[in-house]
Amino acid sequence: MQLGIQVSGVSRAFGSVQAVADATLSVLPGSVTALIGPNGSGKTTLMLMLATLLAPDAGTITINGHDPATHPQLVRASMGWMPDVLGSWPSLTVRAALETTGRMYRLSRATATARADELISLTGLEELADRPSRVLSRGQKQRLSLARALVHSPSVLLLDEPASGLDPAARINLRELVRRLAGDGTAVLVSSHVLAELDEMADAAVYLTNGRTASPEALARAGASSRAWRIRSLDAPALASALTAIGVSPGITSVDKLGTLVQVTGEAAAVELLGRLIRADVPVCDFGPAVGNLEHTFLDLNRGTDVMEQGS
Amino acid sequence: MTTVTTGSTPTSFGVWISGLWLIVSLELRQRVRGTAWYVLLGIFVLLVALVTTLLWAATGASLVGGGGVFSLIVFFVLLLGTLVSPALSGNAINGDREAGTLATTQVTLISTGQLVLGKFVAAWITSLAFLAASVPFLIFAVSAGEVSAATIGTSIVVLAIELGVIAAIGVGLSGVVTRPLFSIVVTYLLVAALSLGTLIAFGLLGAATKATTTSTFTPVLSSDFDPETGEQSNVVCGPAETTTYETPRFDYYWWILAANPYVVVADASPGVFDEYGSPSDSFAWIAVSVRQAQTPPDLATEYNACEEASSGYSSYSGEYPGMQGPGPTQQEIYDSALPSWFVGLAIHLALAVGALFWAWRRTLTPARRLAAGSRIA
Ligand SMILES: Nc1ncnc2c1ncn2[C@@H]1O[C@H](COP(=O)(O)OP(=O)(O)OP(=O)(O)O)[C@@H](O)[C@H]1O
Ligand SMILES: [Mg+2]
Repeated sequence: MQLGIQVSGVSRAFGSVQAVADATLSVLPGSVTALIGPNGSGKTTLMLMLATLLAPDAGTITINGHDPATHPQLVRASMGWMPDVLGSWPSLTVRAALETTGRMYRLSRATATARADELISLTGLEELADRPSRVLSRGQKQRLSLARALVHSPSVLLLDEPASGLDPAARINLRELVRRLAGDGTAVLVSSHVLAELDEMADAAVYLTNGRTASPEALARAGASSRAWRIRSLDAPALASALTAIGVSPGITSVDKLGTLVQVTGEAAAVELLGRLIRADVPVCDFGPAVGNLEHTFLDLNRGTDVMEQGS
Repeated sequence: MTTVTTGSTPTSFGVWISGLWLIVSLELRQRVRGTAWYVLLGIFVLLVALVTTLLWAATGASLVGGGGVFSLIVFFVLLLGTLVSPALSGNAINGDREAGTLATTQVTLISTGQLVLGKFVAAWITSLAFLAASVPFLIFAVSAGEVSAATIGTSIVVLAIELGVIAAIGVGLSGVVTRPLFSIVVTYLLVAALSLGTLIAFGLLGAATKATTTSTFTPVLSSDFDPETGEQSNVVCGPAETTTYETPRFDYYWWILAANPYVVVADASPGVFDEYGSPSDSFAWIAVSVRQAQTPPDLATEYNACEEASSGYSSYSGEYPGMQGPGPTQQEIYDSALPSWFVGLAIHLALAVGALFWAWRRTLTPARRLAAGSRIA
């Protein structure tokens, strides 16, 4: 039995809208995979298919070895899903909502109660435990939603934009929680638009564009394309003249108060540029990629489609 | 990571029932447990109390027995039940979908069958609460006497079933129609179609379908009248005169009335008649009226006055010509006609089961087809 998530060639249309087309990905137990794509690229639709709620038109999905379309019950027993919409039973308290969810997963009453307490402290909802969930703020509801996805200690976790609405401390907690769950062997698929955050928590990334997962070749191309590096120097004019002297290609993109942005193709070229700046005695105090890896790939992939769309 | 081990025995009946009950109690806590609901129940009790008092005074129940009051209270509970139940059950499924709580329930080990049935049972329990609240008044009516145990039993059971039918239709439509407001309205329209629409359809169809009735009359032109005996001699007959006129054919459409919930409740309880064969509660009144409609009209009436005169009829004997004695009593009509309530109840149960089944089909996951413009989550 193949544990974790396997998706191959999955597509799904809503009428004339092809929400997901030929998506392929796999998430192994103990790893965190980021699902990245622009608005409307089909992330939520893909998650719904994984969560046994939506049947794919084509392709195969297995979750811990079971097909969600034919054996939804087996998949549900070991899969936790945190939806992107906030839905909670308004008149139930946080604790009652978690207990009820536990009972829906056929936990015994005592286990459900104990688990609810555990999750309340895990997600920092102690003070709100006995308030009806109607009164929760957006971020608090988001925490409740996360807690609910974890009620039955699933070995596959689907998180659809879990960080939206969370404060910085809660985001750090979320990141640590996700890493800890992965450390315990959970397969985690997480979508988010905050790529810097995914950079820190994901082992791998899957890019969706118009419902298609980016091919390995496209990813390699995007990784190799030139990207902006930010250089900050204690002596800005010296940096400027050194850069002109070196004659960086493709060249200086812009200068802002955080430093100078320079387009560099590949990390080797960046190392060489830094060496030459140091040798030219420029006092460099900051030298690094201006955007994270995920963001760079994301922007490059979607720039690609824009060009294609304009060309056709 | 531990997985849920109990999830491996999904066929066990006990597990299934406890899942169902979980949904029922969740629904009751969600929808019912609120001040607004208790206020509604309070208003309901007040109305029933008012109606009972007025009926008591109007029918003189302390003299004629509580049958009339009892049957009218049952109808009043049915009326209020049909007014309240659609509002409480008509958004059970699509309301949850809008609130985003349907999908989070569906990813758990709760099956679609448990979900739909659980919501139905909760809606039914909710409307049964109205019946329960009216029990003191029913007991009060019974205390006036003249209400048989059979009437009490059948009318309350059939009323409870009818409330269940409305709950099922409401929950069913909420799974079929995407927008909550729309499904509530459609439920109301369906309930109105059953309660009022059947009456209107029956009346209009019956009146529109006319049959030509001929009546033939043969008059006496002249005769000698013997004042001693009251008999006639030398009778000269005139030609037979035929008049035709149109009669509505209600007998074709009586089954439409059978689908009326009030008729079902009335017809199901055993008819109670007084010593003259007249109905003694409103159940029997309605049942008699509905069953009377089953009798086809007499399409050819004939009155031959001439033959009667020549056959030695005496106007002193006190018998009127053309009369076959006094007509049948209402009890006789009731007993000779077909009981219609199980036809109506069968129609209602089919509607209820059909609505729930349709909702179940539309709520099944993983979903293949989605209603246009609806998202799962
Ligand atoms: N039920 C539906 N009926 C019709 N179209 C739908 C439905 N659900 C999704 N879509 C369409 O499918 C596409 C993918 O939607 P989806 O919600 O998967 O995007 P997403 O990647 O999650 O976007 P976001 O980043 O904004 O959350 C969109 O164009 C959306 O309009
Ligand atoms: Mg989304």
